[in-house]
Amino acid sequence: MTEAVRLDGITKRFPGVVANDDVTLSVERGTVHALLGENGAGKTTLMNVLYGLYEPTEGDVYVDGDGLTYDDEGAVADAPRRFDSPRDAIDAGVGMIHQHFMLVDPMTVAENITLGNEPRKWGGLAVDRAAAREAVLDLSERYGFDVEPDATIEDIGVGVQQRVEILKALYRGAEILILDEPTAVLTPQEVEDLFEVLEELTDAGKTVIFITHKLGEALEAADEVTVLRDGKNVGSVETAGTTREELAELMVGREVMLETETPPATPGAPTLTVDGVSANDERGVTAVDDVSFTVREGEVFGIAGVDGNGQSELVEVVTGLRKPTAGAVALEGTDVTDASRRARTRAGMAYIPEDRQERGLVMDFDLSENGVLGSQHDAPFAQGGRLDWTYADDHAADIIEEYDVRPPDATAEAKSLSGGNQQKFIVGREFARDPACIVASHPTRGVDIGSTEFIHDRLIDLRDEGRAVLLVSSKLDEVRGLSDRLAVMYRGRVVDVVDPDEVTEEQLGLLMAGEEPEDVPRADPVADAADATDGVAGTPPADDADAEVADD
Amino acid sequence: MTDADGDGSADGGPPPRSARDRAFDVLDRLVAASATERLLISGSALLLSVAIGFLLILAAGRMTSCDAAAYSLFGVGFCYDPILVYDSLFLGAFGDFFANPLNGQFATTVSETTVLVFTGVAVAVAFKAGVFNIGGQGQLVFGALASALVVYALAGAVSGLVGTVVLVTVGVAVGALVGGLYGAIPGALKAYADANEVITTIMLNFVATSVALYLAGGPFKDPESFANQTRRLPEYALFPQPLFPGRTDASLLALALAVAVAVGIAYLLRRTAFGYDVRTSGIQPEAAEYGGVDAARTVVSSMALSGALAGIGGAVYVLTIAGNFQTGVPDYGFDGITVSILAGNNPVGAVAAALLFGVLKSGSIVVDVGTDVPPQLVGVLRGLIVLFVAMPEFFRMIGKRVDVRDRLGGSRDAVATDGGEEA
Repeated sequence: MTEAVRLDGITKRFPGVVANDDVTLSVERGTVHALLGENGAGKTTLMNVLYGLYEPTEGDVYVDGDGLTYDDEGAVADAPRRFDSPRDAIDAGVGMIHQHFMLVDPMTVAENITLGNEPRKWGGLAVDRAAAREAVLDLSERYGFDVEPDATIEDIGVGVQQRVEILKALYRGAEILILDEPTAVLTPQEVEDLFEVLEELTDAGKTVIFITHKLGEALEAADEVTVLRDGKNVGSVETAGTTREELAELMVGREVMLETETPPATPGAPTLTVDGVSANDERGVTAVDDVSFTVREGEVFGIAGVDGNGQSELVEVVTGLRKPTAGAVALEGTDVTDASRRARTRAGMAYIPEDRQERGLVMDFDLSENGVLGSQHDAPFAQGGRLDWTYADDHAADIIEEYDVRPPDATAEAKSLSGGNQQKFIVGREFARDPACIVASHPTRGVDIGSTEFIHDRLIDLRDEGRAVLLVSSKLDEVRGLSDRLAVMYRGRVVDVVDPDEVTEEQLGLLMAGEEPEDVPRADPVADAADATDGVAGTPPADDADAEVADD
Repeated sequence: MTDADGDGSADGGPPPRSARDRAFDVLDRLVAASATERLLISGSALLLSVAIGFLLILAAGRMTSCDAAAYSLFGVGFCYDPILVYDSLFLGAFGDFFANPLNGQFATTVSETTVLVFTGVAVAVAFKAGVFNIGGQGQLVFGALASALVVYALAGAVSGLVGTVVLVTVGVAVGALVGGLYGAIPGALKAYADANEVITTIMLNFVATSVALYLAGGPFKDPESFANQTRRLPEYALFPQPLFPGRTDASLLALALAVAVAVGIAYLLRRTAFGYDVRTSGIQPEAAEYGGVDAARTVVSSMALSGALAGIGGAVYVLTIAGNFQTGVPDYGFDGITVSILAGNNPVGAVAAALLFGVLKSGSIVVDVGTDVPPQLVGVLRGLIVLFVAMPEFFRMIGKRVDVRDRLGGSRDAVATDGGEEA
């Protein structure tokens, strides 16, 4: 075999933390290699070592996009590399595509790709736009990318933007591409497209490493998977010879229930009613357009959609962070459209916000102080305007114990916790409110499998206790697995409400991409108990539907 | 992509880091500094400023002509003696402290410190709420004027010890009320009209000074005085000063009140629901909003509280140092900003910072009287000290604001948030 990358005994220590512990990783040239692990397992740190953002404490990095050379004993003959900066890594043919795209929105695709390395004319005085365009077209065709060089970034979809990022790395001569959680912002169809792109790349001799915590993706797209746990390499396996269960066990270190067992719901009276709500985003553009739904006691109402289709704004209207331009929100029969956040919390609405580091936690506060957030004016935390810190300390300690927050220290500042542990603390705090209604926005985003399983179980427990749950997530398996009814949002509208048990991932994907429900085969509208309609009529037979999807 | 690249860097030492990285590292270290380290940093900054000031005094002394050298070094004569200057600046403020702790110079130090504690804590409270109150001066001026007028109006009705208790209490309360109302105006403008408080408070400073000039020079002018000032208050209407014999301008009681207020504000911020709202709004407004904090109300009430503290400072100025309202109130309100920054916006720390200011102010007088050094140079020396001592705290504040996650696309903080920052 010919390796393109060999990380030999990499140890990376930070003050008080060993992020990577003697990790050896070998990636064969021309393959897709998945780096799988829970949050905080050290995946990103390891890749940052490879990309030159970090210097390893111990260990050697060997890189050659054309394949390493070996001496007679089979040891690597190339000298170990030391990258002082990403520029060195790029010069050595390593390119990294970050989660957040680094593109200039008003500029064209070709301009973005060549930015910083523009072809020059007139003795270097001017940018040769024609040559840049030509170079981009050439690259795009060579790898079968469908990218229009003259389109501006703001006009193209997220999936295409990602391809532009990849082209940018290729244009700079990358032979080895690192992708950090590349699928987080994509629809299922776009994910499929991405995986095809990765195949094209490896066929052309490029080597791809992608970081993920999603098992399915690792299995589908990679040739080989390396699992990291607690900073250690716990195993590298060929995807051909492994199963989801085996990978999950490697990741977590114990057996995991991959599918949440959700007993059927027994919905009761309406708890949360959203009636004809419209709202604008920060720029004054309509983000939510005439949305209505009802969440009942003892049911999970899911909202699926690609990020940025109005879900965030809708949740903010429901929880009182944003004023609607039209419509009403009612909680347990009381109109709360104009009620403040505090009034809604007191009325029994818990809220797991989508951005835990901006909203959910005060990063400079310790956990005791953060446990009070939202209840600082209410007994038993406050008495006569005075805060009872002894009670607050105990409260935080209880959450930490019940939700296994690490480190188990109520005096630790929120910013010192990993993302998953921050999320567990928020979830614990919100569930401890004994709410009638829980609004959970991406409750397991960035949370590891073990914690995700726990949060899911708790959500279902709360549902079974008769509470109403509004769940917003861009993770399809999450909303499908937990929801009793599932609404799909596209461009601010609820395009359809479906039964998650009946709908296929492909159908959901089409709805999320804006296809009209009538055009999406077999996506039966579920009858809302209030207006029972027979939505089954008129759907094409199952076989045809599958065929049609396959043709797409 | 030749192997030579690898060879070249294989045996290199630690790589040179970019200036940007090093700057962030320094900020990080400042933010993480412990209380002891911060004291050490402040102490070294103080020494450094004295060292630079020392050279300045020597240089200035060479450029002046005088009959006899006040100081000579390596046979070169200098007109000013830096050791004497710094001795007067720091120790002059305490007078002959060990022989008589209640001497006149120390009384000046006490009275200056007292007012500065109020204005320093005032700015600190607003800072904690994320509001930059530059209007302390205006709030102090109005508090002082209102206090002087109301106490004068009531002074005829009561007298003696009862009079002192009633008048001082009323004077302080009126100062708080008027200063608070005047502080609430920019607060409301920010909360409900989105007007930047830095601009509005600066403008309201001019308004306050001008209105006070008109009132103290017109309707309420002391007819027996040529200066623009109100009528003098009787001695029983002022803060009692039992401990400084022969002085009417320094009261340890007022200082005790100032310290008590500073401690009280610290308690309010840390131990009450209102303080929780204020702190949360100050460091993370989005989280405060999520936590049910009414942002507009918190801005208005913290500005009102800030204004009230500055107003009390004004009342105390009238009831100790001035004895009436005079136009040309010293810049206590502006000095309060520096006091607050020096104290890292900690209300209790503001007491220590105010003391440093009080010492420098009082010591400057001693330097002016005791040496030939021009007052402008003394001002420069004071400025150097404040600049040097305040800068580490100032950069610490900046370091706290620079969000770690914004740097290098989040990779710096990858251990803590690995994978936790998906879009």
